[in-house]
Amino acid sequence: MAHQLIELKDISKSFQREQTIIAALSPVNLAVRREEFVAFVGPSGCGKSTILNMVAGLLPPTTGQLSYDGAPVRDLNRRVGYMTQKDTLLPWRNVADNIGAPLELACHKTGKTGRMDKIRQMVELVGLKGFEKHFPGELSGGMRRRVALARMLIYDPETLLMDEPFGALDAQLKLVMHDEIQRIVSLGHKTVLFVTHDLSEAIALADRVVVFSSRPGQIKIVRDIDLPRPRDVFRIRFSPRFTELHEELWDELKDEVKKGTDT
Amino acid sequence: MAGSNSGAAASGQGNVLLWRGLLLITLLGGWEAYGRLVSEAWFSRPMLIFARILTWAGDGLGGHVAITLAEMLAGLAIGIPLGTVFGLVLGRLPVAAGILRPIIFGLYSIPLVTLAPLFIFWFGLGLTPKIVLVAIVTFFLLFFTTFAGVQTIDREMIDSFRLLGASRREMLRKLIGPACLAWILSGIKVALPYSLIAAVVGEMLLARAGLGYLLMQASQQIDMTGMFAALFVLMAAGVAIGETVNFIERRALRWRNL
Ligand SMILES: Nc1ncnc2c1ncn2[C@@H]1O[C@H](COP(=O)(O)OP(=O)(O)O)[C@@H](O)[C@H]1O
Ligand SMILES: [Mg+2]
Repeated sequence: MAHQLIELKDISKSFQREQTIIAALSPVNLAVRREEFVAFVGPSGCGKSTILNMVAGLLPPTTGQLSYDGAPVRDLNRRVGYMTQKDTLLPWRNVADNIGAPLELACHKTGKTGRMDKIRQMVELVGLKGFEKHFPGELSGGMRRRVALARMLIYDPETLLMDEPFGALDAQLKLVMHDEIQRIVSLGHKTVLFVTHDLSEAIALADRVVVFSSRPGQIKIVRDIDLPRPRDVFRIRFSPRFTELHEELWDELKDEVKKGTDT
Repeated sequence: MAGSNSGAAASGQGNVLLWRGLLLITLLGGWEAYGRLVSEAWFSRPMLIFARILTWAGDGLGGHVAITLAEMLAGLAIGIPLGTVFGLVLGRLPVAAGILRPIIFGLYSIPLVTLAPLFIFWFGLGLTPKIVLVAIVTFFLLFFTTFAGVQTIDREMIDSFRLLGASRREMLRKLIGPACLAWILSGIKVALPYSLIAAVVGEMLLARAGLGYLLMQASQQIDMTGMFAALFVLMAAGVAIGETVNFIERRALRWRNL
């Protein structure tokens, strides 16, 4: 049988802080197909970001085997683009230069005019026209997230890791971004791991939703989202199937979220 | 409203300037009166000092200033880039930094003045020993501030930049360097006045020209007016350096003040 693109076999992670060991993630098993869109939901602190860090090769798993395209992930995994939960824009560069930064690096080297064209395309895509010359410090949280998104998309990595990319966006803009992401992912044949707090967002976008239980994180349920594609993200919320899925998953999630707030 | 506000601010500024001017005139006037009434042998007085500066100006003061400036600039041109590069590179190599730490701190703890005779012995009476002195002082200042700057850079910032595919060199040039710019500039800000001190100290020990030499000559002749004249010129040089630094800093760090 052909291997899956991303495979987590009994992956667990614990962190040592001085003398105490914190178990962040209990062993999890998950296989992600090429061109699959998988969304992670779960209470904060259950290890969602940690999984993305491991897939990106930034953190080694404590136990288990993690492979990408059939090979174990040992070092940085440069076939993924990673939009981290925390802001990592360069504060001394304006929007355009932040977005174009990957194309200045030798491994994605693009000539100046090609770069300008791509930047213009990306700026338009994330709806930041007119803000090219602004510095990150002058932007709202939601705008900074969109710059980070554009910076990841501009060099066209085959797999996208997105950690709460649209959390700071207002509801309308979120839907616009969902529409764009869906288009980019299907046109570019991308594989996506997508972390979110917003269950509706997860269902609207994903092929599968993974619900995690609270720390140390564990997979509680994996649900196939059998809504047909392409989806109209603006109206899918009103379909009966969406409501069913939402209710079913919310039942799983709400206990965990409660537990999360108890501690 | 806005108009009257800015008007108030402007007049506040005007008041400060007025008070400064008054204070300066009072101080200089008091000194002048004291010098005339009591004795000018020990304190000289502003009129004599300014007259001396004017005389010097027609008689080679520019040359002395140029010599001191040249020593400073040459020393800075060596010390700043070397210190910055060492700080950036060692900042990213914690193991090497740990090994070199005692050596660096050992060298740094030697008082500057005590090195001057050694350098004069090695490099002679010309500009070279002073340049070396300035270079060493500024090297350490830049090294320490840049090194500290590298430590403050966010881990996730570095990780995400590596993931974008940055090589080691690109990392230094596009992330670590610019991120430390504020630190490097503050290092330069401290280094500039120190470079003046280092050059003048070197000249005071042994030299044939420069502001330190002027000061030393006046002091050997117990020429109070000459000593104060040299000190005033040094003060003016110091203020000019400080203003230059502030100007550069405001320009380079626009994004910080947003
Ligand atoms: N570098 C680290 N050092 C110590 N503990 C960490 C580190 N990274 C994450 N953790 C801990 O691991 C747990 C999971 O974190 P994370 O993956 O960020 O959760 P999530 O993204 O689901 O909110 C948290 O309890 C967090 O405190
Ligand atoms: Mg997280």
